[in-house]
Amino acid sequence: MEVTVPTTSAVLKSLLLADLRTQWRNRRAVLLTVLVPVIILFSWKGIIDQVGGAFALGTCITVGLMATGLMGYTNSVARDRDKGVFQRLRVAPLPAWTIMVSRLFVQLLMILVITATVLLVGYFADHIVIPSAGYVLAFLAAIVGAAAYLAMGQVIVGLIKNPEVVQSTTRLVYFIFIMVGMLGQLGALGDYVKEYVIWSPYGTVQTIIADAVDPSKWTSTSTEALLITVGYAVVFFIAGIKKFQWSNK
Amino acid sequence: MHNQQDFILDVDDLNIYYGNFQAVNNVSFHVLPGEIFGLLGPNGAGKTSTLSAIEGLIKPQSGNISVAGYNVKEKPLHAKASMGVQLQSTNFQPELKVKEIIELYAGIYGVELTVEKLNAILSENNLLESKDKKFSQLSGGQQQRVSLSLCVLHDPKLLLLDEPTTGLDPQSRRQLWDRMEAIRAKGRGILLTTHSMEEAEAVCDRIAIIDHGKIIAIDAPQVLMELHHNDPEVIAASRKGKITLEDVFIGLTGREVRN
Repeated sequence: MEVTVPTTSAVLKSLLLADLRTQWRNRRAVLLTVLVPVIILFSWKGIIDQVGGAFALGTCITVGLMATGLMGYTNSVARDRDKGVFQRLRVAPLPAWTIMVSRLFVQLLMILVITATVLLVGYFADHIVIPSAGYVLAFLAAIVGAAAYLAMGQVIVGLIKNPEVVQSTTRLVYFIFIMVGMLGQLGALGDYVKEYVIWSPYGTVQTIIADAVDPSKWTSTSTEALLITVGYAVVFFIAGIKKFQWSNK
Repeated sequence: MHNQQDFILDVDDLNIYYGNFQAVNNVSFHVLPGEIFGLLGPNGAGKTSTLSAIEGLIKPQSGNISVAGYNVKEKPLHAKASMGVQLQSTNFQPELKVKEIIELYAGIYGVELTVEKLNAILSENNLLESKDKKFSQLSGGQQQRVSLSLCVLHDPKLLLLDEPTTGLDPQSRRQLWDRMEAIRAKGRGILLTTHSMEEAEAVCDRIAIIDHGKIIAIDAPQVLMELHHNDPEVIAASRKGKITLEDVFIGLTGREVRN
């Protein structure tokens, strides 16, 4: 008797439901991921006029994307690999890529939640008004930016196997990006650092989101930042997938 | 004599290398329908590598493996759909509840799961009261039972059980043996790896002893004991005068402790 292999869509549906349930059970961590950019937005209330609403929104969404892409995704992959969750799935009749696609889809939802929360908080708390096209473009720019951070996370989890070391590394990178990125971009660390920060994964993502939020400010620099962000995503993904191993052994 | 088409699992001339190290060396064996076949060997003998190749987790450098007639290289998904696997360590997202894990794997294996069927699976595995518990909240024995329930969820022709009784109390172990025998009675084949010679002797119809990547003996446990009971190494390994399967195993693989 011929054995039946389930369809890829049925497999993806089951994986996605399980991954969403897992994410829901970790909602405290999710809340913290959303909370950090919201706190920054609140604390900047007094300087919104100086830095500009688009800049503030761009910065806060970038910080949220870094948290979910670099820490949320990477740490969950490292933990599940360590526990053998992937190995158990891989002995089942499913294409291996479906495991990652399901997880990336959950991250996509997280990106939308973070972006929407920041835009709403910006509107209601800081009265930042953006054109309606800005909302759509902000989501699109957030997806591109998040791809770069997810890809960076993939590199980390590809190079490091121990989940605890992965966790400390992502925290360190996140902290460095926030501190050097935010302060550097505001010019607090001097022009030399500012120049580097602008073209770093922090700076390019912040630029494309801030300029997408206010499309009238989109310039050739924004396009360059977009291309560089896509470049970061592609290069990091290739390196991360090449180095990634499903098992810790 | 059996035809190759009769085999539920056919491993032919398998070779696996890790760099220059040859972990599996020309290994061949088969499992028949309604047979429990034990793969025994000291640590690092090549059991896990052989099993991983059958499961599709590693690609062997040469050799052929077919599961229920499906070549694992050519039809990996069909081969995987024909087998149920219990890995050595329990491995599910700790946040998921027992019933959710069963739902997940039912979806992956294409098994239609009604509430009645789910409850039947849970009670068959003594998990009904734990169905709303998260996997991380279960005892070791319960986790093993979840793992086993997923193995047989899609009624596979072949079961791969990698040291399934490790860490189980005698009652749970006996219960698992009963279940294995019931699966065998349904005409399914089981490939079992174990370090327990008592287990191999109790449930296996045939065993293969693998050492340094090579199969050094393959037959029914009783036959192996009769065949080797006069070997000086086996007699030297004997502790109580009576030759056991463990004595034969030690006699054939040596007393040296492996890492």
